[in-house]
Amino acid sequence: MAKQIEVTRIFNAPIEMVWKIWTDPELVKRWWGPKHYISPVARIDFRIGGQSLVSMKAPPEMGGQEFFSIWEYVKIVPLKTIEFIQNLADKNGNKTDPAKLGMPSDFPLDIKTVVTFKEVADNKTEMTVTEYAEFGSISNFAQIGLEQSMEKMAAIFS
Amino acid sequence: MEIRRDVFQAIADPTRRAILGLVALQAMTPGAIAENFNSSRQTISKHIQILNECELLSQTQSGREIYYHFNPSKMKEIADWLDPYRKLWEGRLSAMDDLLTEMQTKKGKSKK
Repeated sequence: MAKQIEVTRIFNAPIEMVWKIWTDPELVKRWWGPKHYISPVARIDFRIGGQSLVSMKAPPEMGGQEFFSIWEYVKIVPLKTIEFIQNLADKNGNKTDPAKLGMPSDFPLDIKTVVTFKEVADNKTEMTVTEYAEFGSISNFAQIGLEQSMEKMAAIFS
Repeated sequence: MEIRRDVFQAIADPTRRAILGLVALQAMTPGAIAENFNSSRQTISKHIQILNECELLSQTQSGREIYYHFNPSKMKEIADWLDPYRKLWEGRLSAMDDLLTEMQTKKGKSKK
């Protein structure tokens, strides 16, 4: 597993509150979707072995497609760490082939996601999200054309 | 079917990532690279060959020795590929920031 992405931010909020935005479905809906998207579904089953289902829905002018993801929790250390495996899914939470959803066929599967929480000062919490993926799963990326796929993804994520 | 080599395949392997780490510091001969690993010289050779085919390494001849250099420009392909994913998370963190600010404000009000 190679580290793909790591993002960190310090929030002006207590650690309990930052933790809660990952575990309370109404709060998850407020941040999961990219800008201009909405997250109509957040079914949270927050326990080791549990599987949450979250969705992000494109605005109507972008086709209105709804993308579902599942998070399977593998590690939970209260107020410290949440570790889960991310996959694209159908609306019932069944892991789905990215190509069927109009995503590049080599969209990474089984993305290990680690979220860590650290109190850095009174009422200040540092949160880091790290995503790991097997680069093997995207090794034929060059074949289908890096440029073409980038455009497709840029459209999805912009 | 022979799949064309690319940078993602190159860095899929931990040994190859370690080789890149070494060569990024200084140009090295295959022998000097192999000394850093427990694997056979032949195995390391194969990894070097893959990295070379993926253009993450370039080679120069100095007398009888071949030196391998790191080609950072090729790594940019990886950064470019990851960029939309990174931006997606950056956007989420900003949304979280707004949400937490709102929660703090509400909490402050309800206490009073």
